[in-house]
Order: sequence, then structure tokens, then C-alpha cells
Amino acid sequence: MELLPEGKKNTVTVTYEDQQKINEFSKLIMRKDNLEKKLSKERQEKEYLDDVSLEIELVDEEELINYKIGELFIMLKQEKVVSLLEKDMAQVEESIDSLENNLSDLDTKIKGLKTDLYVKFGDNINLER
Amino acid sequence: MSSLFNSTKTNPRGIPEAPFVEKVEDYIKKPTDFELVFNQFQEHLSKYKFMLESKNSTINQLNVRIPDIQNTLKICKSLLLQKNEAEDDENQEIEMNYQLNDTLYTKANVTTDKVGLWLGADVMMEYTLDEAIELLNKRLSDANESLTLAQEDAEFLRENITTMEVNCARLYNWDVEQRSKLRQVTKELSI
Repeated sequence: MELLPEGKKNTVTVTYEDQQKINEFSKLIMRKDNLEKKLSKERQEKEYLDDVSLEIELVDEEELINYKIGELFIMLKQEKVVSLLEKDMAQVEESIDSLENNLSDLDTKIKGLKTDLYVKFGDNINLER
Repeated sequence: MSSLFNSTKTNPRGIPEAPFVEKVEDYIKKPTDFELVFNQFQEHLSKYKFMLESKNSTINQLNVRIPDIQNTLKICKSLLLQKNEAEDDENQEIEMNYQLNDTLYTKANVTTDKVGLWLGADVMMEYTLDEAIELLNKRLSDANESLTLAQEDAEFLRENITTMEVNCARLYNWDVEQRSKLRQVTKELSI
């Protein structure tokens, strides 16, 4: 927390509407943090899938491969694993897309609130981290 | 004085909404009340913080449980797929590497007609694959629903914490101002 400079007074009154905006802002920031965490996890997953889909091309089609689900591995033929991986990939990509859309929506809202609040409070409010 | 916080507004789960301090004087009638009122606000703020913490731990639990259910569901579906595809050549078993111990995996041939699901309280029930998938789908949607609710609550609490923080800051600033006014007056009087 920062103190106001000596001799300067905080004379801006906080109205109920301002409070609502501040609340909305803090809520959206929290939501954004959570989304970003999820998104980075999904991106990591996509990277893994990218790698494995290259590697798997080197394996013979009839060969059995350990396909991991949760804590166990199912032995499946290469061609089957490939189709499963494609499905996984599609799912991850879909989820990344929707997360990214949500995130950009949030950013627009956050930006709007920031402008409003800075207009009203100027130096008396700090919305950065 | 505690009637300050008897807000009638609550969220759908009954969490009370924090009061908004429009004018500090509405809450502090006499300057001597400051300490008392301020402490009450701080106490209320820490209650909200505690609630948010417990909500967050619920959310974390659900975030572990949901992938668990999803994985189980995925396994059941794989088994079902294997079963349906193998109908003709009577080869209904599926070979798996499963975790026998923390650091040890071993192979097993798993039949694809029935699975056992933990129901909790140390009870496991055997289901056919179709039934298991139905049950798991139900559980998954329940878990997702509780997650949505818990997240709503957490956001509501976050908002109220912000309100209370702003309230506290304003009460505090008000008090500082009052004191400096008082000092001014005593200074003038002593001259």
C-alpha cells in the first residue's frame, strides 16, 4: 500500500457506483488469473500432444502402444492411438480457443473499468500490479 | 452496533453482502467510537477472507475431482469401445499397464463387461459399463455444477472483501483527518 504524498489530500468521494466498479474490477482480475492458469496448462498439454503425434508416426501400425488414461496405460494398436490422440488434440484446441476468447473479453472489460476508475480517481487509485 | 452488518441482502447461498459506507459519520456518531467501529469492520473483513479461503479450498478439491471423474469416464468408454469392436472375434479382453504401487506398473488383462466404482465410505459397487458411464456422467455434471457455484461464491466474496477494504481505508483516513484537525485546534488554543 502506498501513502499519499505529504500535504496532498484525498478529496475524491467514493460513491456506491464507484465501489461497484472497483468490486467488478477485482472480481474480473481474479477470474483472469484463474483463466490464465488454466490456459497455460492446456497449452502445455497441446505441446505434449504435438510432440507425441510426430513421434508416433515412426511406430508400426500394428504395434501395441501404451496409451495413458489417468493412472493407467491401455495397450492399443498404433492406428487406434493415433485416432485417439487426434481426438484429444481437437479437444485441447477447442478448450484453448474458448479460454482465449473468454480472456480477451475479460481484457476489454477490465480495460473499460480501468479507464473509468482512473478518470474518477486519478493518482489516488492504483490498478496495476 | 453489530446491527451495522445485518444486511438483508445476501447472495443465493446466503452469504451476506458487505455494507457500503457512504458517509463515515453515519457509522461513527462520536469520535470516541472510532476504535470500536473500526475493529468491527476489520473483524468483518477477516471473516470474509476466511470464507474466501475455505471456498478456494473447495474449488481446489473439485479441480482435482473433476479430472479424476473424467479419466474414469474415459477408461470406461475405452473399455466399451473395445467390447463393441471385439464382439465378433470373441476377444473381449484388453491389456493394460496399471499402477500396482507408487513406482511399480504391471500388466493385466481386463475383461470389458463390468467395472467397480468407488461410491465413497469404503464401498465399491460393480456396474455394467453402460450403467457406470451413466453414473459417472451424472457425477461429472454434479461436480461441474458445484464448481460453478463455488466459483460464484468466491467471486462474490472477493467483491465484498474489496468493499470492506475500501471501507476500512476510508474509516482510517477519516480518523487521521479528525486527529490532525484536533491537533490544529489544540495548537491554536495553546498559542
